[in-house]
Amino acid sequence: MTMSLKGFIVFLVPTMIFALFLYYGILWNVVIASTDYSILNPRMEFKGLKSFRELFSDPAFQDAFKRTLLWAGLLVSAGNLVGLLLASAIFQFEKPRLRNTLTTFFLYPFSLSLVVVGIVWRWLYDPFKGIDVLLTKFGMPNIQWLEGGNAFWSLVLTSIWVYAGFVALLYLAMFYNVDRSLIESAIVDGASSITILTRIVIPNSKQAVIIATIFLALFAIQMFDLPYSVLFLNPFTMTVVMYVYSKFTSLYFYLASAAAIVIIVVSAFIVIPYAVYGLKKWLLAGR
Amino acid sequence: MPRLSTVTASIIIALFGLVWFMPVYALIVGSLKSLKEVMGTPVLSPPESIDTSTLAKVFWELRGPLLNTSIIVIPTAFVSALIGSLAAYAIYRRGGKISDAIMLLIAISTYIPYHVILVPLVQFTKTLGLYDTLPGVMFGFLIYYTPMAALLMYIFITAIPRDVIEAALVDGAGEWRILRRVVLPLLGPGITSTIIFILIMTWNNFFIPLILTRGYEKHITLKIFSYVGQSGTLYNQMFAAALIGSIPPLIVFIFLGRYFIKGLLVLGTGAKG
Repeated sequence: MTMSLKGFIVFLVPTMIFALFLYYGILWNVVIASTDYSILNPRMEFKGLKSFRELFSDPAFQDAFKRTLLWAGLLVSAGNLVGLLLASAIFQFEKPRLRNTLTTFFLYPFSLSLVVVGIVWRWLYDPFKGIDVLLTKFGMPNIQWLEGGNAFWSLVLTSIWVYAGFVALLYLAMFYNVDRSLIESAIVDGASSITILTRIVIPNSKQAVIIATIFLALFAIQMFDLPYSVLFLNPFTMTVVMYVYSKFTSLYFYLASAAAIVIIVVSAFIVIPYAVYGLKKWLLAGR
Repeated sequence: MPRLSTVTASIIIALFGLVWFMPVYALIVGSLKSLKEVMGTPVLSPPESIDTSTLAKVFWELRGPLLNTSIIVIPTAFVSALIGSLAAYAIYRRGGKISDAIMLLIAISTYIPYHVILVPLVQFTKTLGLYDTLPGVMFGFLIYYTPMAALLMYIFITAIPRDVIEAALVDGAGEWRILRRVVLPLLGPGITSTIIFILIMTWNNFFIPLILTRGYEKHITLKIFSYVGQSGTLYNQMFAAALIGSIPPLIVFIFLGRYFIKGLLVLGTGAKG
């Protein structure tokens, strides 16, 4: 007995109002981006692709775009690496309670607001009052963490700190799913725990790499709160979302919308295959 | 004797653990410093004497934003979980190609960065007269978190055997009754995960209140951010604001963390836990 169409629609409408607003917003971006709507031209005349030509010839956007992609690449590779390292280390302990406590501990930065993260790290990177005080005591050089181009690399490090625990969680979830009998027979064969980890557990957790990569890339594409709360709209740490925001606050709406469309296109390449793949899995699981 | 790998693992955990612990440590010792100490000492040095006056002062300044944020995020979490479960239930019950397509639409909107609707969202809330109001911020949150709740609830619902629902239908129960009396009670942990997850995410959200309001009073993250500009080098005030503003999500995370983790895993891997 299937649900009646009337019931189906009634149950679905509230959620769809919100979901469709998001799509409506995306479409409205397309409309604005095809005009020259700004503080100078509030009349919204159709200009075709002019806004995109202007966007891609703007050095500030080019920088922001390249920086965001680089951030994504660095966060994906280093985030996966650190997450895998943490997960492998946590996996070495047998007690489930200890494992859970450690996982939660490394995940806590994810439960903090990125503004809070930004404020603390802004001070930890301070050349006179931050970690440099500690580093110089051990004879290391005084690093200007937030000076000029250095700021980008420092913030990348902080973003790894924020998200590595989440990656470790994804890996551990896969590790626990690995067939126990595979591990037990390897123990009987006298394999060391490092061999078991690298030869059995990690190769059986490929799915975690895919998922972690997708999420880290999405986190990097959305990067705003962290750089904004550390250095505001600084040209050295400007990301695409920050570019959208800066064009919005300076009332160049058509450029803000055009840059937003670039974000939509880039994230669609990541999101759509993942959503299709994920749903297939969940749908099949439900039938 | 412990195995060699346990030793290596402990060293890795200890090294990374220090880095992970450092910011929280800095937040706590920093907000306990007096005005005199904060001028001269590095952020990682412990305070000579514990001074809670900054915490008290900042807490008093934060009381409005803390209340505003609670007024927004608690209803948002419950409302989005409720209407998201309605949609999830309908899609699960009806099935078929159209349901699949709708679910796909909802899933994609969950993963697309919400920042992209900045310009239309601000214009729309201004047209509705909701700009710079608490309901406006709530509306902004609901646009993004309701589809996410629907997706989460859908994954949880698919774990329920269809026979359970069929049996209730045979007994002549209506859809609303089945959802309330049969499905939702079975989904207790799932609903809790959805609510906790959205609660933490909206409490920590900065972008949506930033674009939908003026000033710094309507959301806690805005208020915390305002200390960056006005406190200059007085990091004790900033740290106190950051610490106080983080306590609600941290408490939820520490005591109900397994629900938050479940929500994360479900969104990431579709695991039902």
